[in-house]
Amino acid sequence: MKTKIALLILFISGNLFAQEQKMTDAEIASFKQDVNVVSKKIKTLSTDFVQYKHMDFLSKDIETSGKMVFKEPNLLQWQYKKPYNYSIVFKNGKILINDEGKKSAVDIGNSKIFGRINKLIVGSVSGNMFDDKEFTISYFKLKGQNLAKFIPKDAALKKYIKQIELTFDKEEATVVQVKLLESSEDYTRIVLKNKVINAKIDDSVFNN
Amino acid sequence: MQKSTIQFLIINCFLALFIISCGSVTKNYTPKKRDKTSYQAPYFSDSKKDYVYKANITVYGNELSGIFIAKKINDTTHRIVFTTEFGNKLMDFEISDTSFKVNSIVSELDRKILINTLKEDFRLLLKKEYLLQEQFENDDYNIYKSEDGKRDNYLFLSKKDQKLEKVIHSSPTKEKFTVLFSSENNIFAENIQIIHQNIKLKIELHYFRSE
Repeated sequence: MKTKIALLILFISGNLFAQEQKMTDAEIASFKQDVNVVSKKIKTLSTDFVQYKHMDFLSKDIETSGKMVFKEPNLLQWQYKKPYNYSIVFKNGKILINDEGKKSAVDIGNSKIFGRINKLIVGSVSGNMFDDKEFTISYFKLKGQNLAKFIPKDAALKKYIKQIELTFDKEEATVVQVKLLESSEDYTRIVLKNKVINAKIDDSVFNN
Repeated sequence: MQKSTIQFLIINCFLALFIISCGSVTKNYTPKKRDKTSYQAPYFSDSKKDYVYKANITVYGNELSGIFIAKKINDTTHRIVFTTEFGNKLMDFEISDTSFKVNSIVSELDRKILINTLKEDFRLLLKKEYLLQEQFENDDYNIYKSEDGKRDNYLFLSKKDQKLEKVIHSSPTKEKFTVLFSSENNIFAENIQIIHQNIKLKIELHYFRSE
């Protein structure tokens, strides 16, 4: 019995190692290169997403879904369609909110934290977030995927986000999942799908 | 003589005002023989259920929205979490009739007056057991008075289908805030409003089913 348990533990931990393996320096360099090449080409990007809010005390993750649209240099719309309509646009130093048809605007001017959030969302989705000044970054290999973990260095940002994990499709070098960890038990996991790069997107999308 | 008459009138006016405001909650209702001594509120009582609502808060003209989550974690206590639509946790409380614990709150909202107000609001929202002292009625409701420390709660149960539709939290002289429930099945409230009478604060909750 004891050997069986020992074997089982070995098997499980072996699996864990197999799931998440640290990249070598050469692998990191080549991975970053791949992602940068792809993300530099991005002029517009739209993607569907499903968001899973996990909290340890809940019996089920809270699931919401919608669409995200980005257009260079800094137009961004994050839109929830299910189970409610809520969309938020970052545009010219303003946040425009449309909550079930009720519209409001917040002037963020040069607010550093919102500038950072904007950069963070675009960075998370495009993948180009390898800023060693902002984050302590570690790199891992998974089966068919790469994983980068970002720990914010900025104390203000760290209050809200303990760690960001971006999972990349190995072939396409694009982000397929964003995980924002608040604590060890609670996180938000966003799965991106139906990504379209460089389709024509009209500015009116960002009128909200 | 004239002076004392004026004094008498002033005193009477105050007395009249006092009596009117004293009975502000029940003045339009008819006293009735009490038909029960206790009441169990049906909402938020299933420990297997995640109560997840879209929340809209209006406070002195400012709008704040997000997701409100309540979960019964043991016989006496609920966990209450408020997050943004993106999932960032703004506040996280544990609350019972007699205890209150702040698990976390973002620094922007960490104000004693706000926390105390929400504590009172949520405690009444989640309250299960009411001991009833008096009963009143109007055309649509049976109204029960339930003492709550120095204050009172007035429970409005519809005559039509016995649903708990309103609870008014009141001091002896004036109403403090009202919780409105709308429920289809009388077990679960789909829409809830918490409206304050003395401060400009309104919390609206709309239940949503996760996909």
